[in-house]
Amino acid sequence: MKHWLRLHGQSLARTLGALVRHPFSSALNLLVIGITAALPLALWLVISSVSSVASQIHIEPQISIFMRDSATKEDLSMLAEQLKNDPRIASSRFIAKDEALKEMQASSGAANLLAGLSENPLPDAFILSSKDGQATKLEALQKDLLTRPGVDEIQLDSAWAHRLERLLALGQTLFEVIVVLLATALALITGNAIRMQILTRKEEIEVARLIGATDAFIRRPFIYFAMVQGLLGGLFACAIVAGILSHLNPAVFELANAYGQKFSLLSPDFSTVVIVCGLCTLLTFIGAWLAVWRHLRQFT
Amino acid sequence: MIQFQQVSKRYPGGFDAVKNLSFEIPSGELVFLAGHSGAGKSTLLKLIAGIEKPSGGIVNVNGQNMAKMNRSSLPYIRRHLGLIFQDHKILFDRTVLDNVSLPLDIIGFNHKEGRRRVLAALDKVGLTGKEKLNPVSLSGGEQQRLCIARAVVHRPAILLADEPTANLDRDYAHDILELFKSFHQVGVTIVISAHDETLMADYGRRILRLKNGQFSA
Repeated sequence: MKHWLRLHGQSLARTLGALVRHPFSSALNLLVIGITAALPLALWLVISSVSSVASQIHIEPQISIFMRDSATKEDLSMLAEQLKNDPRIASSRFIAKDEALKEMQASSGAANLLAGLSENPLPDAFILSSKDGQATKLEALQKDLLTRPGVDEIQLDSAWAHRLERLLALGQTLFEVIVVLLATALALITGNAIRMQILTRKEEIEVARLIGATDAFIRRPFIYFAMVQGLLGGLFACAIVAGILSHLNPAVFELANAYGQKFSLLSPDFSTVVIVCGLCTLLTFIGAWLAVWRHLRQFT
Repeated sequence: MIQFQQVSKRYPGGFDAVKNLSFEIPSGELVFLAGHSGAGKSTLLKLIAGIEKPSGGIVNVNGQNMAKMNRSSLPYIRRHLGLIFQDHKILFDRTVLDNVSLPLDIIGFNHKEGRRRVLAALDKVGLTGKEKLNPVSLSGGEQQRLCIARAVVHRPAILLADEPTANLDRDYAHDILELFKSFHQVGVTIVISAHDETLMADYGRRILRLKNGQFSA
């Protein structure tokens, strides 16, 4: 056990020595790993910032029912009654076309425009709020209401929330694709860097093998080197992202403020840093292991 | 200690480097291996070290059949061997000291004790005071001594030297052979190959003569 620890300690010490001895190539490698990992990290932080805000928005799903001109008084009163008794509907309000016109004339600058019209272009309407905000249920309700006599058109005012939800889901998928691609890239980049290192230390490996080095002995320094770089690269990625966010956040806050919202992008917290560093270390480990494995396989 | 039973080695392409060789080297013997270049001396040494696998026959080293040795146990067998390569295989990116301590690093030797051993080995081959140098600054003979120091630092039971006296003048070659003699005196089994047989004659040891991969009289 002591012996084993010593072997590992020696490898680790040599790895750190190698990092310090070649500061330029080490920095370059860290930069590559850091930037590769920073991209998905930034994307993830943006998505989780937006979704945390989106989940806080209380969506009051409003539905507007516009009636046909041909709808009779009976149609209107029957629908009003049905809406009142429908368990899916929290409340409903009828707005007659004259009322709507008055409201419009009062509220918007369209008075002149409306004055030019010979008759009221607005339809009778119901405005209701649904008990359930779920998109599929709203759609079912919409379809159901469309079959009622006299109904012309139905608008879901909560469609934007629905769209945001879809957009976030798309972002999530995009994030997953990017993570897979960049994780593969990271492992390949590391594998290639280690392959180059193996080539420059080919003689050393050969001599070591000839005088009794095990595969593990040969593998160890490369694996350690890659993992230390992965760890540092992960930290570097978090630093890059934190730097960019602290630079962006005042502007984001101002923008959100202009829309009357309190919003800013989340910075990577401790557990995120741990996960990012862990993933980077794991990926560089895999890359290095494959590179050394491929090289060692040449000897039998 | 080393036993060959009808060993052949055919390289890819059909060249027979060694044909149907049988011999035995008991523990503690010093044996010379003579023959022109291309006679199969290097191949024979590589077969003993398990660097090459025989195409036929049995190579027995220390009671182990080297042909049946699997990848994971071969390194541990090699640690009982001291190898001196014809092309030296010195690492020029590190000091003399680090070159010699490589076998001990592989074993995972205690650093302090290892350093003591390395200095002792360098002292034995006459390189005291040069441990901090880069091997590039050593002469050809000194580089050969460095290789010997690296081969004996872990105190192997068997020492295999492939042309250790090549490119050295006669006096220097004798110095090197004397060095091997001193290892032999402490019980190490030694096989030394050389193409210059006159050098060996002075030592009165068994000489295995190879010609076209077979023993000749």
